[in-house]
Amino acid sequence: MVAQVTFDWSVVTDNVALYYSGVKLTLAIAAVSFVLATLMGVVIALLRLVRNPVISAAMATYINVFRAIPLLVFILFIYYGVAIAFDLDFLTAIQAGILALVLQYSAWLGEIFRSGIQAIPKGQREAALSVGMSRPGTFFTITLPQAARIVIPPTGNMLIGMVKDTSLVYLLGVSELLRVTNLLANRTFRYFEVYLATVAIYLLLTTTIYYGVKFLERRYSVVDVLSEIKRSRSPLARRRLARLRTLQETVQGGATAAT
Amino acid sequence: MAAVRERHSDDAPLADSSRATVALRDIHKSFGSNHVLRGIDLQVHAGEHVVIFGPSGSGKSTLLRTINLLEEPDSGSVRVDGIEYGPGVRGEPRGRRGDRRDLRKQVGMVFQQFNLFPHLSVLDNVTIALRRVKKLRRDEAEHRAARQLDRVGLLDKIGAYPAMLSGGQQQRVAIARALVMDPKVMLFDEPTSALDPELVGEVLAAMRDLADTGMTMVVVTHEMGFGREIGDANVFMDSGVIVEQGGREIYSDCREERTRAFIKAVL
Repeated sequence: MVAQVTFDWSVVTDNVALYYSGVKLTLAIAAVSFVLATLMGVVIALLRLVRNPVISAAMATYINVFRAIPLLVFILFIYYGVAIAFDLDFLTAIQAGILALVLQYSAWLGEIFRSGIQAIPKGQREAALSVGMSRPGTFFTITLPQAARIVIPPTGNMLIGMVKDTSLVYLLGVSELLRVTNLLANRTFRYFEVYLATVAIYLLLTTTIYYGVKFLERRYSVVDVLSEIKRSRSPLARRRLARLRTLQETVQGGATAAT
Repeated sequence: MAAVRERHSDDAPLADSSRATVALRDIHKSFGSNHVLRGIDLQVHAGEHVVIFGPSGSGKSTLLRTINLLEEPDSGSVRVDGIEYGPGVRGEPRGRRGDRRDLRKQVGMVFQQFNLFPHLSVLDNVTIALRRVKKLRRDEAEHRAARQLDRVGLLDKIGAYPAMLSGGQQQRVAIARALVMDPKVMLFDEPTSALDPELVGEVLAAMRDLADTGMTMVVVTHEMGFGREIGDANVFMDSGVIVEQGGREIYSDCREERTRAFIKAVL
């Protein structure tokens, strides 16, 4: 057996438009699924923390069930099992794939968000209540913003996972990146070149997300914000500093005038 | 226990209770099977500085947290500035129940662990309640906050974040955050216990300045020297009851053996 030693990259360069269409659909599916899963995840986390034991237990069950099923099995079950058995004609392959991704990822994200909320010390809530803030006000201005910072890294991981997992819907005949690759490879028999390009594309996508998450993490890390503002030359930051300086001068001026 | 309560009511005649800024009546509180407060009666009058001391686990902090309802009493009633809350005193008809938030707005609290909001600047820590609770415009809120921060000597730190401050500075911001709401009474829950020894002084100084302005204060502290200095009324607690309360003389001449033993051990 002799290994193939000559590569023909024209099969890739000639089909850039095809790859591009696959990437577009991959990203669209990932984006829609991720936004929906995030919204559902927040709701699940909140309901999970409700004092009512029935609601909380229902959410725990939801999380358990959807985390337990392998995603591929779940995608096939929804499209070929549920949709066809119950005659849900309106459910397209893309929609079925998105539905499966959303149900499963919302369970994971729900757990991440719950742990983020619970990581905020009790004293934060008490301090907010002690100055007369309402419970919802406390949650939205004190607990949630701090929890959001904590969950940025694990949520970023989930987004990377989501981009990769969209490849599973190729089995439903959705023309996302993997299916496009597969068809091209079968047509040209240049498996190595065609798949290597796809590997590189996934690597590029996930690396980009990784750096995006790192940026967010730095941007919203609590201690760094001010040094960031000082360093930044943005008009917004300069206006803020100017405001603070004016405020200091006014108060100092008022104090010396009073004495 | 009955004897204690009787003596307590000698100290503060009932006629006075309606004028008190804070009035606790027969407060009971349990955590599970742990009966932490066992019938507490306490009155704090306007301008008075009450110091609560006693061994750990005696219920001091729980008592303090009951005043602004961070702990809700199982029975008894809490009244602050005319707003009454709580299940009521056993054996009495239940009175009208006030709003928990309205009561809290009359009470400022300073915590052992500061509990500043780490995601907000020093200025925003102090303005947030003005804007969210009092609904003040941003300019007005920031001016009031900056003036309050100036009073605790931190005007130059308004742009900083809590993590960039020392513990003493954080605690002074916390004092400003509570004061800016114009509370009728300020509660201090062991405000210097989490501080490095060399930072205790600046916080005590801020509290002393506050006491000098005539603010009504209730202080739980292990700083007995400071307690003796500012305490108009000094309350010794043990095992969930007020064992004894009195003026400054309590530190040198107390009636109860338990009080004497505690004071001798710590002073």
